[in-house]
Amino acid sequence: MIKDFTNGIVKVNPIFVLALGLCPALAISTSIDNAIGMGASVIFVLLFSNLMISLLRNVIPKEVRIPCFIVIIATFVTIVSLALQAYLPALNESLGIYVPLIVVNCIILGRAEAFASKNPVSRSVLDALGIGLGFTLSLIIISIIRELLGTGGISVFGYGVTLPFSPATFFIMPAGAFLVIGLLLGLFKRVGVIR
Amino acid sequence: MKESWKRVIVLTSIVAISVVVLSSIYNITEPEIAKQKEIKFEEMLQSIFPLATDYSGKEGIYEIYSDNKRVGYALMANGKGYGGDIEILVGVNEDKTIKGIKILKQTETPGLGAKITERWFTDQFSGKPIGDIRLKKDDGKIDAITGATISSSAAVDTVYEGYMEKIKMMEEK
Repeated sequence: MIKDFTNGIVKVNPIFVLALGLCPALAISTSIDNAIGMGASVIFVLLFSNLMISLLRNVIPKEVRIPCFIVIIATFVTIVSLALQAYLPALNESLGIYVPLIVVNCIILGRAEAFASKNPVSRSVLDALGIGLGFTLSLIIISIIRELLGTGGISVFGYGVTLPFSPATFFIMPAGAFLVIGLLLGLFKRVGVIR
Repeated sequence: MKESWKRVIVLTSIVAISVVVLSSIYNITEPEIAKQKEIKFEEMLQSIFPLATDYSGKEGIYEIYSDNKRVGYALMANGKGYGGDIEILVGVNEDKTIKGIKILKQTETPGLGAKITERWFTDQFSGKPIGDIRLKKDDGKIDAITGATISSSAAVDTVYEGYMEKIKMMEEK
């Protein structure tokens, strides 16, 4: 059971192993705050969609499972989106369009299809937490590198340091995201963290 | 036959439940979202007119009052940038010079075009007559952001055109 949780962080890490959800990962990993905000939103959606889908797994007919999954996922994404607008407007602004786009994030539909629709609730919840955490940690690693090199400083929720070198703006641009993710993937493979 | 009815019923019920849940959550968050928008707008007004105590207006033209005396106007200007729509609040003095500007919405490239929101850029507009609101290369008095000429000129054009449009609307009244 505990493996369902730990698998998501390393062995089937969504970004570096499954290479799922790369679009939001590339787009919002410009700052650590964004990475944490996006990670938390994805964990919330993944947790509740896996929970619901696992509960309903014997009720939903096979032929209409995808529309059912999407409606469930979209419901939770809309809840997150409304809550962010109401209570965390600043974060909502910096995540922008990527919150509503969680609906089509392949990590979430992928876990619903591959895991939650076939496994009991407790295992599905652990899987959601593991995958969600794996996604968040990956985003944080990428955003630390991009924020540090791209803006010449690191800050988390307003506390931070500025380092005395001139930043390479390239790293916070989309091309920099590809380079950082690619190099990290290569590095993790080389040192054998992932296969 | 029975199987196909089951499909319809299950999918319809899931959608129906989702509708009920979302509409109740919308009702809870809606006033809060409206409040946040208003707070943000008032903060923006306050940062342009620090002495403002009250405002009134509609259709993107607001009259700003300080202790019941009108001190200027705030105009909403909309334009297109390099990465999407730009929305700028333009503060105007009684003598029609620019009091200050505030970028309300922009989706320019982070680290480049997004620098139009930085103080050193927006402060350049303060105190200038509208005729000076042009980039230096176009004989104006606004410095462009290095590497983001399109965003800089989009911001300048948005302010200029928004100002012209709204001033005309005010004079027609």
